[in-house]
Amino acid sequence: MIWLIFLPLLIAPLLYLIFGKTPMVKYFTLGYFVFLLLESFALLGTTPPSGYLELGSFLSVEAFDFVLDLRIDYLSAIMLILTSALLVLVTLSSWSQMSASYFALLLFFSGPIFGVFATTNLLWFFIFWELTLVPMYFLVGIWGGERRIYAAVKFFLYTHVASMLILLAFFILYKESGYFDITMIKESMIGSASLVWWLLFIGFAVKMPIFPFHTWLPDAHVQAPAPISVLLAGVLLKMGAYAMIRFAILLLPHQAQNFAIVMVVLGVITLVYAGFMALYETHLKKMIAYSSISHMGLVLIAIATLSFDGLGAALYEMIAHAFIISPLFLIAGILHHKTGSWQMHDMGGLMQKAPYLSAVFVIAGLGALGMPFTMGFIGEFTILISAIKSFGYPLALIALGSIIAASYMIWSYRRVIYGELSALVAQSDFRLGGVEFGALVIFALVIVILGIFPHLIFESINTAFAQFVGGAL
Amino acid sequence: MSAFVILSLFALLSFAIEPLNRLKLFAVIGLMVALFLSYQGCAVILSGFDATPQVSFFEMIVFIVMIAVVLHEQEGINITQLLFIGAASTLLLQSQTLLSFILSFEALSILSMILVAFIQTKEEADGAIKLFIAGAIATALIFMGAGLYALDGHSLLQGIEMPHTPLGHIGLWLIVLALFYKLTIVPMHSWAIDSYANLSPTHTAILSAITKSVAAIALFGIYQDYLVEAGIINLYALIVFALITMTLGNFLALFTQRLTQILAYSSIAQAGYLLLALVAAQSQHASSGILYMAVAYIFMQSSLFLMVGVLGKKPTHLTLKDIQGLHHQDKLTALLMTLQLFSLAGIPLLAGFLGKAVLFYAVVDAGFYIVAFIALLNSALSVGYYAWIIKEIYFEKQTHPMELSITQTSRVAQLILLLGTLYFGIFAYTVFAYA
Repeated sequence: MIWLIFLPLLIAPLLYLIFGKTPMVKYFTLGYFVFLLLESFALLGTTPPSGYLELGSFLSVEAFDFVLDLRIDYLSAIMLILTSALLVLVTLSSWSQMSASYFALLLFFSGPIFGVFATTNLLWFFIFWELTLVPMYFLVGIWGGERRIYAAVKFFLYTHVASMLILLAFFILYKESGYFDITMIKESMIGSASLVWWLLFIGFAVKMPIFPFHTWLPDAHVQAPAPISVLLAGVLLKMGAYAMIRFAILLLPHQAQNFAIVMVVLGVITLVYAGFMALYETHLKKMIAYSSISHMGLVLIAIATLSFDGLGAALYEMIAHAFIISPLFLIAGILHHKTGSWQMHDMGGLMQKAPYLSAVFVIAGLGALGMPFTMGFIGEFTILISAIKSFGYPLALIALGSIIAASYMIWSYRRVIYGELSALVAQSDFRLGGVEFGALVIFALVIVILGIFPHLIFESINTAFAQFVGGAL
Repeated sequence: MSAFVILSLFALLSFAIEPLNRLKLFAVIGLMVALFLSYQGCAVILSGFDATPQVSFFEMIVFIVMIAVVLHEQEGINITQLLFIGAASTLLLQSQTLLSFILSFEALSILSMILVAFIQTKEEADGAIKLFIAGAIATALIFMGAGLYALDGHSLLQGIEMPHTPLGHIGLWLIVLALFYKLTIVPMHSWAIDSYANLSPTHTAILSAITKSVAAIALFGIYQDYLVEAGIINLYALIVFALITMTLGNFLALFTQRLTQILAYSSIAQAGYLLLALVAAQSQHASSGILYMAVAYIFMQSSLFLMVGVLGKKPTHLTLKDIQGLHHQDKLTALLMTLQLFSLAGIPLLAGFLGKAVLFYAVVDAGFYIVAFIALLNSALSVGYYAWIIKEIYFEKQTHPMELSITQTSRVAQLILLLGTLYFGIFAYTVFAYA
């Protein structure tokens, strides 16, 4: 495991220094990510149903409890699979990209992101958490759209400031418990646990992102190249949600109980506000970005239920969101690349020009609005039920989120996919490389297959939170 | 035999050695021997000096950085000066009594004035004179402080004792204020902006990285006990100095275009962080905090100033526009610069992050949550301008290529400094073993 984290960090700079533009690096990166995916499945297979799979301790500094403890439980293993699957798909989607540096940065990203999910030491967690920013900064800043520099710097600064709250919270935890390791902190009394909870909550809410800390995301998403938007939405946002579950909920359950209402309220506001923003947007990619934020609101509501059902639903929705939003971003990127416009009213009639591309867009859109037989339905339905169970019928309100989603999605179908063939679409050539299209098809298949057979992943998800119901907190 | 004797000897002999490459080799050998002696824990055999493990460790770090500077340097006279400064640094680090501390500080101070006295341009004269005046004021303050402290009835031939009257406290504070000149703590910082920005980058690397961190470690060593006992009001005063210094340094850096000036402000901000160790004096982590921060700081700061020195014909005139698209021209330099800048910004797996993390934790440990929070925010703010420099290097197109004068030995020097930044960013136990 330690090599999965540090080897990419070593290799990536070398790839950058040695290679200029060559397809070799791309094949290497793809091969490595496929290996990561297999390795992640193998890890899930060996993880015990309760407790951690111990993967060793490294670089121990006892005077500061600064030890790289690598431990994996079901929750981490599922996140690792999701991450490596998305990395494979992102590489496939970037197939027309030739620059070795681009793939070197993707490779670099895979190291710390594995570290984030695999360590239980808070300081090391923070190190990996911060380190994921670096490749993202370059990927957005170098290969982004016209306002890429503004977006990259804003993204970097905004999330970095939020991280400082997290670091302060970790310091206070260490001061009061004497440990940086969460398995040890759990057994200690924390005097200022409420302060710590708030610091952690705000820190992670920025990453998720939750209203009112979401403003970095539309900029970053719109300016990032489409495959990197996938990485942002599918991996970086999930990292925030994972950390929220792991640290704000499982580590400090009593504080989470006390402030559950805050989470629900913010979750609902995020859901509805971002939904309306998506409805208002005419910029295709911004609409998808707001749709993404809106869904993360749902995830927060599910987390706030603090129940076995709710956490499972949250994890399912996280996976669903990754697979649903990603093809939407990719297609938006392709449309902009081919037509040169982001505006939905410039498009129209795409179905006539590019039926397969449109079909994937429609399937993913149906997932986003929660249509049965897609992953979106299972995610939203389980969240709705667990929310009503925990907070009563007023929370049936969140079904409103689906209605808003249906509004903006179906309206965007009208404007982009169907409707009259616009001049811009008519003169553009939408032929795609086989590999890129293959990636889109995989996304669509996953949305449908896991929507029809949710038990394929729900068993693992339930195992991840089995201890939660057992009161082993 | 101690590092001090060896370095003084080598420095004196080095006047006779030519050409440059032989001199470099000679100086590196001298520094290696000094390194070995420090590793053995040898101290100056004089009363008032002693080498704790922490001091020996930091001496080793200083010598490693000096080896890198020697490899990089193209002027023979600077190498000789550097050896003298190395010798004085060991004295200052090892001093255990107030008298030895003051005398070695003066020695270091005078040596830095001599270092910058080889003036070639008008701008360098500007920088050198400001350094000289600041040093002179510091000297005046330090002797006045020592006098008042002695009047209070203490011997200077011991470590610091608790003063009997306010007079003694004032005396001790005057000495601290004098050191603030060397550490560039606001409001004693103004000389440094012009000096650091105008002097030759090699000189600045020595002044801002080496002598500053040595002075910080020495100040902490001799004042720690006093600060623990002297009462909270002293700590509050230090907090004000530290926070103003880091905030002002970071803010001004945000609005600066000249590269050396940005680094000068950044160096001031870093001094603010270093000062936090004194604030946290009562924490058991304070000594490891300042040691770690100083180790990280000396590598990254000297590396950056040396690197700026080889960019273009007039490195002190470089603006952000000039380095646009540097990575198209020289990937390795771009990468090295980026890594060191990230280290200064406190991005993990680089020494700068752990330096700050341990130091800021010491502040939390001492109970100053808000102070730690402001320091953390400052650190986040500083990313604004470090990331901006990186943005110029990577995100912009190159309009006109730069003239790079990078030699093989300066590459080696940069790699040594990078290794330090990387090593101490990952293998924290080395520092904790000595702290």
